[in-house]
Amino acid sequence: MDALNPEKRMIPSAKAGAAAIGLFLVGLAGLGCAAALQFRQESSGGYFLHSYLVNFCFFTSLSLGALLFVTLQHIARAGWSVTVRRVAELLADNLAVMFPLLAPLVFTVLAGNGILYPWAVSESGAADHVLHQKQAYLNPAFFVARGVGYFVVWCLTARYLLWLSVRQDRTGDPKLTLSMERLSAPALILLVVTLTLASCDWLMSLWPHWWSTIFGVYFLAGAAVGALALLILLVVLLEWAGPLAGEVTIEHYHDLGKLLLASVAFWGYIAFSQYLLIWYANIPEETAWYHPRHSGPWAWVSMGLLVGHLVLPLFALLSRWPKRNRLSLAFWAAWLLVMHWIDIYWLVMPAYDPQQPRFGLSFVFCLLGMGAVYMAGFLWRCRNRSLVPLQDPRRHEALAFHND
Amino acid sequence: MAAHEQHRSSAGLAGLLAEFASAEAVRAAASALRSAGWTRWDVHSPFPVHGIESAMGLRRTGLPWMVLAAGLAGVFLAAGMQLWTNGIDYPMIISGKPLLSLPTSVPIMFELAVLLAAMAAFLGALGLGGLTLFGHPAFSSPRFRRATTDGFFVFLSADDPRFDPAAAQTLLQSAGAVAVEPLQLDASSRQPPSAVYWALATTVVLAMLPPVLVTWYRTGPKPNPRIHLIHDMDFQEKYLPQGTSPLFADGRATRPPAPGTIAQGALEADEHLYTGKIAGQWATRFPVAPTAAMMDRGRARYAVFCAPCHGLVGEGGVSGITSARAVKRREPNWVLPLSLHIPTVREQPVGQLFHTITHGVRTMPAHGAQIPVEDRWAIVLYVRALQRSQNATLDDVPEAVRPRLRP
Amino acid sequence: MSTLVIASEDNTGNDPCRRAPLVIGQQTDVTITESVCRVPEQIGTPRAWYAALLVSMGLTAVFFGTIVYLVTTGIGVLGNNRPVMWAFPIVNFVFWIGIGHAGTLISAILFLFRQQWRTAINRAAEAMTIFAVICALIFPGIHLGRIWLAYWMAPYPNQMALWPNFRSPLMWDVFAVNTYFLVSAMFWYLGMIPDLATLRDRAKTRWRQIAYGLLALGWSGSARQWQVYQQAYLLLAALATPLVVSVHSVVSTDFAVAQLPGWHTTIFPPYFVAGAIFSGFAMVVTLMVPARAYFGLKHLVTVRHLDNVNKIMLATSCIVAYSYAMELFIAWYSGNSHERFAHLNRAFGPYAWAYWLMIACNVLVPQLFWLKRCRTTPWMMFLIAAAVNVGMWLERFVIIVVSLSRDYLPANWAMYYPTIVDVLMLLGSFGLFFTLFLLFCRYLPMVAIWEVKHVLPREEVHHGSP
Repeated sequence: MDALNPEKRMIPSAKAGAAAIGLFLVGLAGLGCAAALQFRQESSGGYFLHSYLVNFCFFTSLSLGALLFVTLQHIARAGWSVTVRRVAELLADNLAVMFPLLAPLVFTVLAGNGILYPWAVSESGAADHVLHQKQAYLNPAFFVARGVGYFVVWCLTARYLLWLSVRQDRTGDPKLTLSMERLSAPALILLVVTLTLASCDWLMSLWPHWWSTIFGVYFLAGAAVGALALLILLVVLLEWAGPLAGEVTIEHYHDLGKLLLASVAFWGYIAFSQYLLIWYANIPEETAWYHPRHSGPWAWVSMGLLVGHLVLPLFALLSRWPKRNRLSLAFWAAWLLVMHWIDIYWLVMPAYDPQQPRFGLSFVFCLLGMGAVYMAGFLWRCRNRSLVPLQDPRRHEALAFHND
Repeated sequence: MAAHEQHRSSAGLAGLLAEFASAEAVRAAASALRSAGWTRWDVHSPFPVHGIESAMGLRRTGLPWMVLAAGLAGVFLAAGMQLWTNGIDYPMIISGKPLLSLPTSVPIMFELAVLLAAMAAFLGALGLGGLTLFGHPAFSSPRFRRATTDGFFVFLSADDPRFDPAAAQTLLQSAGAVAVEPLQLDASSRQPPSAVYWALATTVVLAMLPPVLVTWYRTGPKPNPRIHLIHDMDFQEKYLPQGTSPLFADGRATRPPAPGTIAQGALEADEHLYTGKIAGQWATRFPVAPTAAMMDRGRARYAVFCAPCHGLVGEGGVSGITSARAVKRREPNWVLPLSLHIPTVREQPVGQLFHTITHGVRTMPAHGAQIPVEDRWAIVLYVRALQRSQNATLDDVPEAVRPRLRP
Repeated sequence: MSTLVIASEDNTGNDPCRRAPLVIGQQTDVTITESVCRVPEQIGTPRAWYAALLVSMGLTAVFFGTIVYLVTTGIGVLGNNRPVMWAFPIVNFVFWIGIGHAGTLISAILFLFRQQWRTAINRAAEAMTIFAVICALIFPGIHLGRIWLAYWMAPYPNQMALWPNFRSPLMWDVFAVNTYFLVSAMFWYLGMIPDLATLRDRAKTRWRQIAYGLLALGWSGSARQWQVYQQAYLLLAALATPLVVSVHSVVSTDFAVAQLPGWHTTIFPPYFVAGAIFSGFAMVVTLMVPARAYFGLKHLVTVRHLDNVNKIMLATSCIVAYSYAMELFIAWYSGNSHERFAHLNRAFGPYAWAYWLMIACNVLVPQLFWLKRCRTTPWMMFLIAAAVNVGMWLERFVIIVVSLSRDYLPANWAMYYPTIVDVLMLLGSFGLFFTLFLLFCRYLPMVAIWEVKHVLPREEVHHGSP
């Protein structure tokens, strides 16, 4: 039926292409403004680099979370999520847009000035015994090689899964589903390992004397929250705009809402585990990371995260009705997207200024700029691709299931 | 009308039980019956039939709210309990954690919330589901046994205001019932069997036994020692003081020390110091060299032990407050304390004075137990100074002090 | 009587166009009920079952015998000594609690994910949870010393000015494990009520009717009862899900809040939970492979069910492997000499045999489950599951004993050797577990009959299942 009329499930390509190019240019301009604003005020550019890192990790985590979603749905052979899976596949493929955005991090690390990462200074190992111990891992060359490696793995995986799925739109071959399932299990393992190491590299090493074995899981949990939130918002938007109209029912929102609730609870659980264990043992090596987040203005941000990222959404999404109402769910998805950003901000910025949470025009330009680039990438991918897996063998299940 | 009278005349009828062929059939019938306006009826199936609630028009219960309330109660109860017991009632700082420590309270807050919420869900299900009502009329039908295997039934209660056996039967059959069976109200007594009362009575009596026994054992004297089940280390393999022992002739577990045993520090080898005698004769000199500090000590100790009877100057008589009081009260057996300045006392050697303090003399009690040896010699030194002070001439007074003397 | 869709004999195939059937053969409501109810209704004792029961009751006697010996003689009969103050009893406790987690996952978490294949195994798995928690709860009680004062752990008003130390994870354990036991018991019992009613209605003797009837609480299968019942079931499942995660997390905090290298790692909570699920599923396979064969339930607990269980085992094995790898990497990355030593000691120290055996059993052997042949052959999965049981016990041994035997003070280092009492108590706990499980199989419905009927496809629209 829809295979005969795939345009109904697509965004008009010309419009998508034009919007993408426009957004891309606006995005680059925004990033440029942010950089310019910053380098005028502070020649080292530390503030810009940290704010860039916050936004870079934020948008990358959204795509990583989407890739996680896709692989999990394939492994579980889910039927309910078929009609929303393509949007997630496109979001995951967007990692290819984030890949070149790695450049500023690469340059600052290779420049060896330690503005962003203290260990990047070439003689840091001589002065600091602890850094010396880690030099085999935390050195610029290996860092860059790993970063490139992560993106290669992610992009290839996401692209291949997308390619198989889009191919099925044309051929309707059920064996493609089997291929995607078979690929997803090792892909998930690779994804979790690379995601963990990426979070260690980009976020944990901001405090090179600190460590936490659960950090990778923490980042993954946050990525899941962010990705689900973004997915919900996109599904609401696309259903309203037309391409997903009739493909998703209120049951999808209910299920996505349940997953959002579960991921919020999971994030809270991981965050609390890390905090409780470090707080309880009270070892200065470990509490040093929490110390600036505990005192002064940062303490307000921490409380805000606790209440806004965990307590409020948990209670809000607990009962049936808020999940079975598009507006309510979209509100909480947007709320959690913002909260996830604040989470990444909270992870990064105390390394720049332990006394004061800094936020200003430059930061806004950076965020909006990178966001524009990200959305540009997504729209570019939507050209000539259906937003629903047209001939997925389980598509009928997505429309038929209901929650009791 | 006849229907109304029929309703009253079939008071022995509990209702109608209709059997259906399948889940779909019973669901379709449910819609039909609901449209017909029935209210006191139910569908019975071996598993929950999809869509039966909307077909019957059942509303959701308030169970989720009960569960939420119980969960929140659990959170606050746990928080309060922990913060109060460990932070306020018996504040203990353990490994540096703050007294009112919220992070450590979180795990138990969570667990208690889940426990109370789950109990609310469980008990709510039993309560709202009308479980423990063993007397459903449908159980009297042998067909109904299949309701938990593969049978689908509708039970219409006779309490329904529109109940009319004939009309109901027609409607049920037109809705697709395979069989319709009238059920009679259970004629047997609604009373539980007597065994239940016996069991209850026995349980109550048995439950009363422990508190009664405990009360009986705790009130009034008993000839036997308490029942002591967990001994811990209360009965140890050792002899207690005043205990008996079969090993010794006198039967005592506590043995006196061997003859000649001297406690540490109790060897009083220095005769001069401890008895005031030298080779059996009163000592005339002090065993320790007198010093100003010893004199001060002597004065202080004299004021404590001797002055109450002998007076601060040593005059005896009623100059001491104890003596004055005894005289004032006309104590019949009171002997006035001696003055220390009479020639007999002045001529006594220091050893004899020491002996008097230690063992007492005539009606003066012994003070050896209260006053350590060194302090006794200090008192003797002071007494000598007192004696000299009360028997002085003008030549004994230093030149510088003489102008201060009263004429 | 409704007839169902005819199912094929082998349901392990994966055809994306249609969902695999959950039962084998032409099953009707009646045949399903018959297959399951036949076991408790059997007159006379099945011989193999009886023999197994005698063996396990013998082991249970050994268990209680060693406990009595321990309580009357003292803690000195165990191998605990400086510096390994905590050894076999706590290892066994964590081991058994971990095993219990699979039941709750199958019952609650898979229910929330609408995985309908869980209906064939959830009853037995939940029973396994309860029995495992019973075995687990005994160990902390007896290793404290003065078990008759165990009530001091409850916050009751007393004249000794005695309150429990709520800041200690050991107290959190008391609440967590007891909550877990009560909630699992409520969930298990609630789920069984309709099936107990089935047994009541089919009872041939008056005694059976009264016994099952009392337990079934007068269940009549009315739609109103089903409605509130399903609401409660969903709520309990939604409560049990975070509960099961929290329980083993709290157990892990027993160790993780300490400052001992090898114990103090932030990843412990999710790592322990994944490990618990892993060992629990291994025990599910260990129990269900023989039980389905002996009790004739192969058409309900199909090979596909076992296939799915094995896939979950594979996934949790990968999570456990990830945790091992993270611990190793971060130990190196931290540059902390104590952390690095702790892990080198595990791999090359005096207990290296335990470490490498653990790696082999937990990480390497379960990788066989990538092969479909291993996932779908009962005797193969039974052996792999047995290896996992051993490996997961060793994991707790390695974490607890090895870390304690080499703590911060080298002068305090010593080897730990279990005594015969330790070993007999561990073996005896298996006796208690299997005794309870065998009794469960004999007298209670092993499969959730109403749930299997509920999820089978009928003529109308149905839910999807993998």
